[in-house]
Amino acid sequence: MDQDFVGLASDCQYWLQKLSAWDQSSTLETQKDTCLYLPQFQEFLRQMYEALKEMDSNTVMERFPTIGQLLAKTCSNQFILAYDESQKFLIWCLCCLINKEPQNSGDSKLNSWIWGLLSHILSTFRFDIKEIGLFSQGLGYEPVDYYPALLKNVVLSLVSKLRESHLNGFNTQRRMAPERVASLSQVCVPLVTLPDFEPLVEGMLTYHGHEPQEVLCPAFFEAVNEAFLLKKISLPTPAVVSLWLRHFPSLEKAMLHLFAKLISRERNSLRRIECFIKDSLLPQAACHPAIFRVVDEMFRCALLETDGAPEVLAATQVFTHCFVEALEKENKQLRFAFKTYFPYTSPSLATVLLQHPKDTPQECRLQLLQRISQMLREAVEDQACGSCVDPFESWFLFIHFGSWADMAAEQLLRSETEAPVAALLWLLAFYYRPLDSSQQRAQTMAKVEAVLSRLQLLMLSRSTPLSAKELQAATGEGSNADPTQSVCGQLIRHLFLNFLLWTPGGRTIAREAITLAPAGSSLL
Amino acid sequence: MEPLLQQLERFSEVLSVSGTAHVSTWGPETVRRALDWARYLRHVARRFGGHARIRSAVERRLRSLWGPEGRGLTSFQALGRGDVQLFLSLLRNRALGEAAGRALLLQLLPGAGPRDADAEELQARLARLARYRAALLLLREAGSPGGERPALAEDPVLLTQAQLLLGRLREAREAEAGDPGGWLGRVWTRAPRDHFLQVAAVALLQPLEKELGASGPETPGEESQLLVRWLLEQSEVLAAFCRHLPAELLTSVAGRHPALSRAYLGLLTDWGARLHYDLQKGTWVGAESQDVPWEELLLKFRSLWHAPPPLQEEVLAALESSRARGGDFEVPGLSVWTDLLLALRRGER
Repeated sequence: MDQDFVGLASDCQYWLQKLSAWDQSSTLETQKDTCLYLPQFQEFLRQMYEALKEMDSNTVMERFPTIGQLLAKTCSNQFILAYDESQKFLIWCLCCLINKEPQNSGDSKLNSWIWGLLSHILSTFRFDIKEIGLFSQGLGYEPVDYYPALLKNVVLSLVSKLRESHLNGFNTQRRMAPERVASLSQVCVPLVTLPDFEPLVEGMLTYHGHEPQEVLCPAFFEAVNEAFLLKKISLPTPAVVSLWLRHFPSLEKAMLHLFAKLISRERNSLRRIECFIKDSLLPQAACHPAIFRVVDEMFRCALLETDGAPEVLAATQVFTHCFVEALEKENKQLRFAFKTYFPYTSPSLATVLLQHPKDTPQECRLQLLQRISQMLREAVEDQACGSCVDPFESWFLFIHFGSWADMAAEQLLRSETEAPVAALLWLLAFYYRPLDSSQQRAQTMAKVEAVLSRLQLLMLSRSTPLSAKELQAATGEGSNADPTQSVCGQLIRHLFLNFLLWTPGGRTIAREAITLAPAGSSLL
Repeated sequence: MEPLLQQLERFSEVLSVSGTAHVSTWGPETVRRALDWARYLRHVARRFGGHARIRSAVERRLRSLWGPEGRGLTSFQALGRGDVQLFLSLLRNRALGEAAGRALLLQLLPGAGPRDADAEELQARLARLARYRAALLLLREAGSPGGERPALAEDPVLLTQAQLLLGRLREAREAEAGDPGGWLGRVWTRAPRDHFLQVAAVALLQPLEKELGASGPETPGEESQLLVRWLLEQSEVLAAFCRHLPAELLTSVAGRHPALSRAYLGLLTDWGARLHYDLQKGTWVGAESQDVPWEELLLKFRSLWHAPPPLQEEVLAALESSRARGGDFEVPGLSVWTDLLLALRRGER
């Protein structure tokens, strides 16, 4: 416990020096510096309170002789007082210093001094006209009544100034000078989470000055992004998109925040994943190609780093699904061409893949699947083809759209007409094992074809109801499965699930069949 | 019901007393009890806020207490803020003794009062007030660097006060013994005059739904009507209003309120009639020093001249009829109305 106090005492010295430096001048530089340290200083105040509340006045003076000076300086620093909960901790610290049983005039003086500081931070202040406070008292209103309304009106007035400035292009009189907008953004850093402040945050994010360089300060973007991610502020989508377009680190942070949520220890259902993703506003923002590229790059890196972990794969697919939905809601005229989103692959492939499998009529599905299979095959296996596309890129593009692989598996088991088995098998084999050589892939396809024919036999000749054991034998899963079989395990499991879904009688044995399947299957 | 109403009355008194020197007799216990009382009433306000019958009974009683100062509790909503009001009133009061003062400050620590699950504690609301104060100070610097003042009609401080004025007028109107006209008169005598006029003008420019704390759309704009009527009745105030406020502001107000525009034009006509042509100086002058000079008159008329149609036509008609009555001269120097019209038309070209 004592060591904590030693640390705290030296912190006290450090912060006192910093506050003195900030006190000296009120330039943009000192403001920037103050804003940088706001969270740490708040933490310090909180720790100080925890320490002070256990002590009596004499101990306090012994341990922290400069605490009074520090708190006094804090009382005159508006940035600190405006930030989050700092004012709360400050008030508590001051109250802890009160001498509950003053013995002498020194003690009384201390109490009186604390009273003065507290009155000061809660007092009415005067705007530029002296009469204003008097008038409000004449009307009988107290600050607690009108400060919120005054703040709202100040905010609205600033918002309309920004809007006017934005609209009045070359009319320099009505324009807000860029330095003013910059200093306004700096001042807003501690205020971002204040209630009723959202209109101004939104106004600043959607404000485009007439300067080529960014006029808002980076600390402002960071503060807004942080507040948005922690849900302390809610902003309309265009404002958030503007934030991410203008400040790249914020976009990165938002993505990392999303990843952290999606790839947590607990298994998230697809619906929850979709919820998280939609809430983050990233799919909607990704309609802007610049943002999409960044987001896609992060998914790509994540897949590479985790060797194609199923969670990341699922996240990519759900994200793409939400993204396509958002894209469709966009105004058709303002929409970018698909190839802007996927520049590294052939535009025709991208266009085909972006279609909804569910939207295509039954008759066309097989054709489309065949076409996709063909295009991918060409891109991946045909070295003579001039495009030189990295197989990983083709695979990465393909896995965005998981529903095509699902459809391929379904068609393999359901289609009554002649299915292009080879094409579909190739597709599935590529989906699960992109790095195989042509030979390895052919072997996989052969094995899977064998399983497929066994399953189809099971489906066709039915006199007795299906049993789970039979199914297990057909797929070749089980404790004595040989190692080469487990290599295409995921593919087979996919077929297995489709079989359970689409075969009459499959659902009744589903539970039993699944329990017989090897544990740890991520698809299940 | 009646015990609650009596408590209300007594608390309202306590609140008024908290700002006077009488608190020197208060000890720590008194302070704590007063705050507990305030908390209890806040709890009542939150619990029965939805109860129409109880709410209206409380409001009726509060209105009957509505004193000439308009202080203390004035509405049901104010009950919810009674504890903060009491606290701040005591904090400002230098007459409060040391021991009582300590007891007051210690209320700021967490857990000082009883826990109320859904209500924000007193100390949290006071901390938020400190935050608002800091925010306003920061924004004041950023919003108007170098002390430049925004246009009066857009000034957020004036706007807020205008909203407060309208809010108080509504309360005065609804109170049984309320006398909105009388109350306005008292504010006029006590408040700085120019400032009051500016606030009144901004209040008259407010769109009808915007009044602070309006509970519903039942009587939109009634408060503005009240204000207009009072202005028209008080010739001294009206004269000051039309004289001392900037021309643009007056034109906007006249555009919104036809009754005022007629009165305004009437005053301008009266002022114009007091001017005579001084051959030596070659300009129109007034008989006495407090008469409105020619330049000012022209300025006001010019602003009206550029007003949107209904008002503009009214102004033109007034000027022309005055000119006709004055002899319908075309030549300058004989009728102030002729000269005004000439100057205005000249300015257009």
